[in-house]
Amino acid sequence: MTNLEPHSFTLVITGAPYSTQAPQTALAFARAALDAGHTIDRVFLYGDGVHLASDLVAPPSDEPHWPKNWAKFLEKHNVPGVACIASALRRGLIDPSEQKRYELSASNLMAPFAIAGLGEWVEGNVKSSRTLYFHGGV
Amino acid sequence: MPTLIIIDQPPYGAWSGREALDMAFSLAAFDQPVSLLFTGAGVNWLRKGQTPSAIEQKSVEKNLAAAPVFGIEQILADRNSCERYGITAPVLTDGVTLTDANANLLAQFSQTAFAG
Repeated sequence: MTNLEPHSFTLVITGAPYSTQAPQTALAFARAALDAGHTIDRVFLYGDGVHLASDLVAPPSDEPHWPKNWAKFLEKHNVPGVACIASALRRGLIDPSEQKRYELSASNLMAPFAIAGLGEWVEGNVKSSRTLYFHGGV
Repeated sequence: MPTLIIIDQPPYGAWSGREALDMAFSLAAFDQPVSLLFTGAGVNWLRKGQTPSAIEQKSVEKNLAAAPVFGIEQILADRNSCERYGITAPVLTDGVTLTDANANLLAQFSQTAFAG
């Protein structure tokens, strides 16, 4: 029983890079899905997953840079990457407009990630044929 | 396509349960049918008379009480988990339906999600 219909996927990442493998597993899945002819509708970062969109991550040079690797993938394939605003603000992931609104000393959102509400996740749920979750759970 | 949001984390000590509740509220706000299932340590959300101010946290009871107002269809709790944590009728929050969290239950929903 083979389903040849291509899927459109919404990927939800809730595990942080460097404390969980969730962003790495999700990226491997995303590449494999595109190779197999499917599409990625959007990537939604929720909970600790928002750390993936930080521009201030500086791992040792011999380790993968997951935020940059993800950002390159999103740009190359024109896939929107959205971090949940409530999760982001709690964890110090800030874009220029939130920096201004809360009078903070800096912003740190990596392009092309954007910050938006859970409505983006709801819309992905409705529009995509599958929504997959990448958790950091043990 | 009804969604089941599953909370299996205790109300205090982890934030993922609160973020799961926000997911459920968000679906309901966009008129998507959604129910909540509390299972495992998550059934502690349903204990009456929580006083978390001593640990500088807000009670999750108030958040949960808003669920029907937001349009969340059902609040379900796994019967075995409630027994294991001693959450019986006198301390169980009102408006909760006891159920068995098994394949038959999950089959009633087109998708299920955890916050993490």
